Amino acid sequence: MRVKINYRYIASLAASLAVALLIGAVILMVSGFNPVEAYSALLSGAFSNARHIGDVLEYAMVLCLCGVACNIGSRVGIFNVGGEGQLLLGAIVSAQIGVVLNGLTPWVVIPVAALGAALTGGLYALLPGWLKVKHNVNEVITTIMLNNIAEFVCEFLAKGPWKNPDNNIVAGTGNLPTEYWFTRLATGSNLTTVFFVATIMTVLTWYIMQKTATGYEMRLTGDNPRFARFAGIKTDKLVIIGMLVSGMLCGLAGMFRVYGAEHIYKASISNDYYFEALTVAMIAKYQIPATAVISVIFAVLKIGAQGMETAAGVPNQIYLIIQTVVIFCMAAESGIFDGLKRRAEDKAAKAAARLREKEGAAHD
Amino acid sequence: MIEILAQVFSAGTFTQMLRSATPVALAAMGGSMTEHAGIMNIGMDGMILMGALIGVLGSYMFGSAAAGVMAAVLFGILVGLFFALFVVKLRSDEFIIGCALNVFANGFTAYVSRSVFGFSGTSGYEIDYMQPIDIPVIGDIPFIGEILSGNTALVYITWILVLVMWAFVYRTPRGFYIRAAGEKPETLRTAGISPERMKWLASILCGMLCGLSGAYLSLGYLNGTFVEGMSASRGFIAFACVIFAAANPAKAYLAALMFGFFDAIGLRLQNYISSDLTSAIPYAITIIMMVYVVVSKERRRRSGRAAAKTSAAPPAEGAGT
Amino acid sequence: MPNTPETVIQLSHITKEFPGVLANDDVSLEIHRGEVFALVGENGAGKSTLMNIIYGIYPPTDGEVFVRGKKMEEYSPKNAIANGIGMVHQHFMLVPSFTVAQNIVMSREPRRAGIFFDNRRAEEITRELVKEYGLAVDPSARVEDISVGVQQRVEILKALYRGADILILDEPTAVLTPQETDELFAVIRRIISEKHMTVILITHKLGEVMAISDRVGIMRHGRLVSLAETKNITEREIASEMVGRPVLFDELERTGTPGDVMISVEDLHVRDNRGLTAVNGVSLEARSGEVVGIAAIEGNGQSELLEAITGMRECVSGSVRIHGTEAVGMTPGQIRALGLAHVPDDRLATGVDAVADVADNLITGRQHSKEFKGFAGHLRRSTIERWASEVYQRFDIRGAGLHGAVGSMSGGNMQKVVVAREFSYDTPALVISNPSRGIDIGATEFIHEAIMEKRNNGCAILLSSADLDEIFRLSDRIITMYEGEITGHFKAGEITKEEIGYYMTGSRRKEADKVDAS
Repeated sequence: MRVKINYRYIASLAASLAVALLIGAVILMVSGFNPVEAYSALLSGAFSNARHIGDVLEYAMVLCLCGVACNIGSRVGIFNVGGEGQLLLGAIVSAQIGVVLNGLTPWVVIPVAALGAALTGGLYALLPGWLKVKHNVNEVITTIMLNNIAEFVCEFLAKGPWKNPDNNIVAGTGNLPTEYWFTRLATGSNLTTVFFVATIMTVLTWYIMQKTATGYEMRLTGDNPRFARFAGIKTDKLVIIGMLVSGMLCGLAGMFRVYGAEHIYKASISNDYYFEALTVAMIAKYQIPATAVISVIFAVLKIGAQGMETAAGVPNQIYLIIQTVVIFCMAAESGIFDGLKRRAEDKAAKAAARLREKEGAAHD
Repeated sequence: MIEILAQVFSAGTFTQMLRSATPVALAAMGGSMTEHAGIMNIGMDGMILMGALIGVLGSYMFGSAAAGVMAAVLFGILVGLFFALFVVKLRSDEFIIGCALNVFANGFTAYVSRSVFGFSGTSGYEIDYMQPIDIPVIGDIPFIGEILSGNTALVYITWILVLVMWAFVYRTPRGFYIRAAGEKPETLRTAGISPERMKWLASILCGMLCGLSGAYLSLGYLNGTFVEGMSASRGFIAFACVIFAAANPAKAYLAALMFGFFDAIGLRLQNYISSDLTSAIPYAITIIMMVYVVVSKERRRRSGRAAAKTSAAPPAEGAGT
Repeated sequence: MPNTPETVIQLSHITKEFPGVLANDDVSLEIHRGEVFALVGENGAGKSTLMNIIYGIYPPTDGEVFVRGKKMEEYSPKNAIANGIGMVHQHFMLVPSFTVAQNIVMSREPRRAGIFFDNRRAEEITRELVKEYGLAVDPSARVEDISVGVQQRVEILKALYRGADILILDEPTAVLTPQETDELFAVIRRIISEKHMTVILITHKLGEVMAISDRVGIMRHGRLVSLAETKNITEREIASEMVGRPVLFDELERTGTPGDVMISVEDLHVRDNRGLTAVNGVSLEARSGEVVGIAAIEGNGQSELLEAITGMRECVSGSVRIHGTEAVGMTPGQIRALGLAHVPDDRLATGVDAVADVADNLITGRQHSKEFKGFAGHLRRSTIERWASEVYQRFDIRGAGLHGAVGSMSGGNMQKVVVAREFSYDTPALVISNPSRGIDIGATEFIHEAIMEKRNNGCAILLSSADLDEIFRLSDRIITMYEGEITGHFKAGEITKEEIGYYMTGSRRKEADKVDAS
């Protein structure tokens, strides 16, 4: 087996993170905070106790799951930007299943809810996938539009037909009975046993995409669909299935949020989490191990920033700034590297030409 | 039923349509520039959001809405430069940069707004905003006058800009270069013109127009308020308009009007139907229109094919490449 | 020509290095006013690189360019244009959605009121140019709607409008019909005699060199190896200088007799990407143990025909049978399963996954074989490695190694990867399109021998090539196509290269008679 560790990539990631933290420090100073204090508050906000660590892992899980969903799509050459909508629909459907089936044993309710979430998310992703394959309609635009539609539909359901009148929030389904809640791994934390399920799903996806014949076909389809079709691979089917599975993972991520963390569907189920995951997947260059690592890093920043807000009064949105600086750096990485490389190569070529000339003169 | 129709087709609906369409149209015109230059710009939502904040900030600091608009436009230029630095100079993936710009705008505007105005936002602050302008004579015409008159300056400026941008793209040499930069950049390079420069120019124009769009949103549409996330996906709607209009600024304005119309009837019909559902209509329509465009193109090809079967159509010109 | 020719361009010790490639190696050369200078060499010999340096696309790594005695200080197309140099690139530099006039005046537009593009004036200018140089174009036609030959005229007019008096033409005849080539040469002669211009012609067609040039420079591996007056050199001499050894394509050995019909096409109609008829009622067949060559000038439907046969393109009507089974409506994968392999026209777009490594490109199509697929669907990497390295050696692939990206290989080696994979399926029928396009003579020879070996082992081969020598060398039967229709049907040896040109241009037709009922 070939194991390739991309040291340049790791170095770039570390450098980007350093640059981002530096810029963050400058912004903190400009707005009158002590960066050292703020960052130590951030660290303790992420690591000081099991609850915080649990929250970090829970958020990393959501990011990673969504990132993996994006990776599956991009592997077959379709870009699923619609994960946010798939996640929201999966969440609200699973929440409502829990409310409707209240009273049944969790051994029935949870599988049914998971199935419902996966199917809702998957079917919602199927539409743009089908349009892409059948009519070559740009999936980026359709999925973005479907996101907005899903948001409004969920809002409508949570305010109207599926609203629980006993709740005193404007939009939200009924609360889940406690016996349906996933078991917490640390008191007070959102981290639950479903973390292990998500881990297994991630590893399984990695195995399929990286090691199997199907993964091989997916890769060819994404790299050069014309060649893949030419070589007899059923590219349309792979794209459709890829989109379906991608949507299913997003739907499940929504269900995990409901049954693991919120125990109700409300607007805070996701705050553009999928878009964050999308950037994670992109700077991970659509590789699953890197997606997992960067998910953890971003989760540390986010959860830590919440602690920082309570401890030091810094608006927690600073984490979005730091995070996007990392993304900008990583996106520019190859441009910067290539520029440096080209300059060095030009120099070397010129020197070599001079040398040859000299040698030539000596031979004459 | 008649009552509903009367509500839908009242002058108020069309006034609201204009108001809703304006920010989308401004951004869509900007997006048309980048689209022509061959850049897929999905970062417009972030550009608008930042424009909205800077507009309010400028108006707050200088005490004048006009200054706020200026500030938003200038900041838009900076954002355009920033965008081009990554997309053109450093050859980053425009999609990542667009996404990141949106996330960045979310964080940046919330951070700045909370730092300046505190955690409860701009409410309670005295911020100058754009006043409606009554047009004499035209304003007195019933119905039409009601719609055309009494809008803020930016609505009228947008009309002028539609003409200007259209003429720029299709009637000036620079416009030709921008289109060539997107369609076939080597053509420019061999003519001694830098296609990269055209992409920079397009990005800057897009930044400016999105800044203007944001300023309208906060200083015109919402009377001098900044709300976190107030762009509310308008950048994506604008993007849909661009695609829909094949990056023609005039057609993009018409597309924006259509979105404005659905937005307006959604607000009008709140008592009959959930506004959440009517709000979703423009997005659904974009998808339907995209599918329609593609399918009708396919059908046109297929009907040509049917003709070939019956008649001996002249064979293809000798251009295989 | 005067006794002391005036030098318009002088290249002094030009060296150009790209990462890993020495494209130009110490080239010194003088171009004289009023001559047609032909620059010849194989693909990759460095001709285009040298000309791109003159045109300022990129600077040389070392050495200098002098234009009319003045040293070129800044390498940019802008500067080159200012110095009166114009270049017509192999791939035209025209914006498809703009009109002819708009393309011609680009960068020096006539303006109205100082800011607006004056379209009327642009069309007038174009008409004036047309009158002056006798190159007919319609100023208001969109470039995407005009033929390649006319596009080339637009390119030449564009250079002339910019004030060029030194014109570089990069492989100008590659996409032209013989008639269009004649027209182009007439234009070249005219601008030289009437306008005293200078023309540099990059080409690898030796007949053209002899027909039009005054002097010829021959490049090999980035070096200028020979420089001669055309009248003092023969085609054969040029050819052997180009390759660095005497070219002797040996007669290939043929054994066996044709057997069953493996590929049979009947009254096939196919459309091109624009929805226009590309193949118009073609019928043909190929038997096992024979090579059927399709001779046609690029863009006459041969690519679409082969794509339709292999399932890469939808058919409008007609029938394609592979070993007796109807294949119309099947996917490329299903057609492969019937026993048809395919070496495609454009290897980079269709033949490989350029990002993946060589091994992964070699095993495509075998990923589900028992040999390679193990427990839980995983690919047995070590088995694959062994198999791929064996193929790698058998087909003499060089360059990237088994784990290098195919995209980083030379055209010849990339083509060998495609051929190795397609031939390794051992199918009874093969469709091959332009197998030696853009690759060096060594690789061409290797691939030709491999094709012949397949034929002798009883494979039915349908070959299409823009290279007539290739068609004549390999084919047992030759079919000519023009504008989507078959215009002639010949046995090998029945027709000469000169004669076949009439059929490829539609000026003669021969009904498909009993030649194939042998």
